[in-house]
Order: sequence, then C-alpha cells, then structure tokens
Amino acid sequence: MTATVEYDQIHAIAQEVFAAMVDGDLGLLLPWDGDLPDIVDALVAWVDLHGEWSGRAVLVTGSDTAHDLARVLLGLDDGDAVSRADLVDAFGEIANVVGGNLKSLLPTPGTLGLPQVGDVLPPLAGAARVQHLPLSWRGRLLVVDVWVTLPTATSEGTS
Amino acid sequence: MRALVIDDSRTMRRIVAGTLEGLGFETLQAEHGRDALDQLEAGAEVDLACIDWNMPVMDGLEFVTAVRANPAWRAITLMMVTTEAEHSQIVRALAAGAHEYLIKPFTPDAIRDKLDLLGLVPVEELA
Repeated sequence: MTATVEYDQIHAIAQEVFAAMVDGDLGLLLPWDGDLPDIVDALVAWVDLHGEWSGRAVLVTGSDTAHDLARVLLGLDDGDAVSRADLVDAFGEIANVVGGNLKSLLPTPGTLGLPQVGDVLPPLAGAARVQHLPLSWRGRLLVVDVWVTLPTATSEGTS
Repeated sequence: MRALVIDDSRTMRRIVAGTLEGLGFETLQAEHGRDALDQLEAGAEVDLACIDWNMPVMDGLEFVTAVRANPAWRAITLMMVTTEAEHSQIVRALAAGAHEYLIKPFTPDAIRDKLDLLGLVPVEELA
C-alpha cells in the first residue's frame, strides 16, 4: 500500500471530489501553506476499506467548515441552519467518495464500508498512517489521512 | 419521464435528483434497494433508476438483480451511480443487468452524457 498510493494520487482524488461535488472547479483544494493551526471543534468522517489490503480514509475539519461544506452540498444559503443529521450525511458522503476512489487505486479488489462520522477518530487496530494531507479549502484547514493495517504495524498506528 | 434515485446518502440523492430534475425528469427517492423495491411493488412507475452500490439493508447490485428477475420491470433503465470504480465491479454490475455505470464523483454533464447514450434525455432538453 505504501508503495502504491502516493501523496499526489490522494490529492488528485480529493481535488476531483471537491471540484465535482462542491466547487465546480479544480484548484480550490490546495496544499496547506504554513504552520498548521489546531482544528477547533473537529468533525471526523471516515470509511474503512476491507480486503487483502485493509485501511481507512479519513477527513478531518472544523465544525464551521463542515457546516459550510454541507450547505454547499445541500444547496442551502449561507447562514442557513444545518441539522446534525444533514451535517453527518454530507461530510460522510465526501469521505465515502474519497474512500471509494482510493479503493480503485489498490492492487487487489476489496470492499468499502459505510461512511461514519464523529467528533473523534476511533482507533483502527494495528494500523499506521501512511499519508497525511493538510489541505486548504477556501483558506480553511481540511486534513485527509490514509491509514493502512499492516501485519507488522508499530505502536504509532494504534493511537 | 420519471427517475428513481436510490442512495443511502440524502446529500447524494439531492445532487442526483437535482441534476435529473434540471433535465426535465420527475424524481422519486429511496434510501436503499429494499425501499426502492417496495416503491416499485407498490406501483411506482419509473423509466430510470440511478442506483448507489454500497447501501445498508439491500445494496445496489442486489436491487439490480431483483429488478431484472421481474419481467414487469423490464423497461426500467438501470444506471449505477457509485464510488465502486474497479473494472471488475463495473463488469459485475453490467452482467447483473445494469445498462450504464457512472462513477462518483461526477459532474451534471457526466449524468447528461450517460442519459444521452441511453436515449433518455428529454426531448425539450435536446432542443
């Protein structure tokens, strides 16, 4: 896995997803430039991949940013209220599409779990983070991580 | 024409249904394959079903198989709209009876192009 899914591939997937689903234009999801701020009131969306290769695609951003993403996806106006259910559904669907496209890069077929959303990322036993992409969406931090379950995973991967 | 949009994500249902409505379709929505079958069994008449693959209760492939097993629904055009992008999955879906396959993420133009291939773009849209 580490040899087959590169930073640029993940970034290209994320850019394509945001261009098609959110922004209507490529180039609005850029590598984060500068020091990484803490994500306040984080929302985490993830989807697990199962098979000969197992792992997890994760998106993390602040709650305010997730609300804005949901407004765009749901066709709401700025400032419109977003229910928790809609927030979870919208952010989870972005993770779902990112994870599905990640799966297509893998050398062997596998299955995709259903997307999940929470305030914290639950541990994935025996997994290590193999890609970490701090990105800027409209100037706000959104992180895409890829975790892989390794037979010889180190303790780093269980946090 | 009428389309049934089947996806467990309300967000994705809204996106797909909105695109189809912009092309002149009336739309119905279902949260999973079983929900969609229930609507068909209750008499809903649709020309097109846009079907996600990974859903709880009944997934898209099971739905396609069930629709194709019922001669009464032979006229329904089935289009998978899914993140499942591997060639082997596309082959499985087409072998089960899907007519077209659209990989997420997609643009509105991509949906329109697929419908055009299927001869399902409403006449007023082509004019």
